[in-house]
Amino acid sequence: MFNLSELQHDALVEIFNIGVGHAAKSMSEIVNEEVTMSVPSISFLNRADAAEMLGNKESSRVCGVSQHYEGAFKTEAILMFPEDKSLDIVRLMVGESVPLKELTEMEQEAMSEIGNIILNSCVGTLANIFAQELSGSLPQYHVGTSEEILSATGANASTVVLMLHIDFILEKHQIHGYVAFVLDLTALHDLQEQVDRYLAKVMGPA
Amino acid sequence: MTHSETHRLGMLDSVLGAINLGTIVLDHERRIVVWNDWMRMHSGFAPDAVLGQDFFALFPELAGKRIDGAVQQALRDNFPSVLSQTLHKAPLALFASPAARDSGERMQQAVAVTPLEVAGLPRHCLIQIADVSVAVTRERLLRDQALELRSQTFSDGLTGIANRRHFDVAMEKEVRRAKRAGSPLSLLMIDIDSFKAYNDHYGHQQGDDTLIKVAHALAAMLQRPLDLIARYGGEEFAVILPELDGEHSVMLAEKMRVQIEDLAIPHVQAAGNDRVTVSIGASTHSGSELADIAALLGAADKALYQAKRGGRNRVERHQEA
Repeated sequence: MFNLSELQHDALVEIFNIGVGHAAKSMSEIVNEEVTMSVPSISFLNRADAAEMLGNKESSRVCGVSQHYEGAFKTEAILMFPEDKSLDIVRLMVGESVPLKELTEMEQEAMSEIGNIILNSCVGTLANIFAQELSGSLPQYHVGTSEEILSATGANASTVVLMLHIDFILEKHQIHGYVAFVLDLTALHDLQEQVDRYLAKVMGPA
Repeated sequence: MTHSETHRLGMLDSVLGAINLGTIVLDHERRIVVWNDWMRMHSGFAPDAVLGQDFFALFPELAGKRIDGAVQQALRDNFPSVLSQTLHKAPLALFASPAARDSGERMQQAVAVTPLEVAGLPRHCLIQIADVSVAVTRERLLRDQALELRSQTFSDGLTGIANRRHFDVAMEKEVRRAKRAGSPLSLLMIDIDSFKAYNDHYGHQQGDDTLIKVAHALAAMLQRPLDLIARYGGEEFAVILPELDGEHSVMLAEKMRVQIEDLAIPHVQAAGNDRVTVSIGASTHSGSELADIAALLGAADKALYQAKRGGRNRVERHQEA
């Protein structure tokens, strides 16, 4: 599988941690309660392995929010949580005490907004640090197996998935989720080039 | 401008006027450049009154809020944002009708903020506002029915008031609400005095009848919709009093104590009395310190113990050390 140098890897982990930090701050302001988020690790996977990681069984449904970005690099970004965890997140954010079995239409919109905040922060931080501009689409909400969600967002067998593990902590609950950046080979190359350019800038020429 | 372009612009203008969605366009300095007829109808501002004005000067309460960040993100980063009704309720002062405006009941809104490229000018942004009141009402109905169904498993079989499970759920919800709103939350623990002796003397059947009478008398004294009385244990009741400070909760507790005394249910085995009485312990989370369920319960329990030790048929309030 595709690999980054240790330096490139560390730079991306740091950038994404700044990104989710901004997202956590925005969410704290909305709910007036402390929200913390971190990205403990990232990995590059092929699509099949990415689907596997999220538990690709009929029984394990995943809830996803996706946005398409393009510019300095092109990607489909997808925030994913196991469906039961997404119920937890929305209800913790909303402070609702009558849980129904699935997210209602209004709760799905709330989940879309949460995804929108996290994805925009992650991609926005990348764009800022790379001093590049990207444009984004409005968020879309999905429920299904991880395989279905990855397919629905246009990932094919040859795409690479940059997978971020995300820890989300609200009101003593810790919830583990993922952000997947679906990249084709060109996009992957563009991303790597941007990371190198950034590293050259901060470290000085090698 | 050619003839057909003039027609096209006129037509687009009519479309903007006809669509059933609030449509606002801000320029790169966040000045309003489009304000459609839907906005005029629901905001009460005519386009002439708002065009050219800074959007956040017109709605100062929105400055620094999520929509402010969303506009910045659209103009600066070229990213769109959504604001869901669930997380924001009704950010803009928009009303479905003049009657709703008079009563101050805002329209429930879902908002989308998207960057807008305008040829030859710096980037603008488009704010779209949808009225989601119908969906909100529908979901409230659904939730109420779910709650209704659940309440059947949430009430105490003997007395009909809330059971322990209901109490635990309500307590968690109210503590979080108090924490978010910074409002006080009081808790009463109420215990029937010498109840074991009552059961031993009058029998369990009559003991149950007395439990029911006491429960109903206490429940009848709660007037506010969020107050909750639950059967906490055998002859113990717990009362959750959101947004009530320590002083007022003790006043209510005292009224409850008197009310039970006035029921004059005979109790020949009562220690130091001839009738059924209750001891009450009160505790309050004041809104300033961090609320904690265990601490609030512990404090009310301690106060109840003090009331018992102090001779029963009295109210004690837990004082912080």
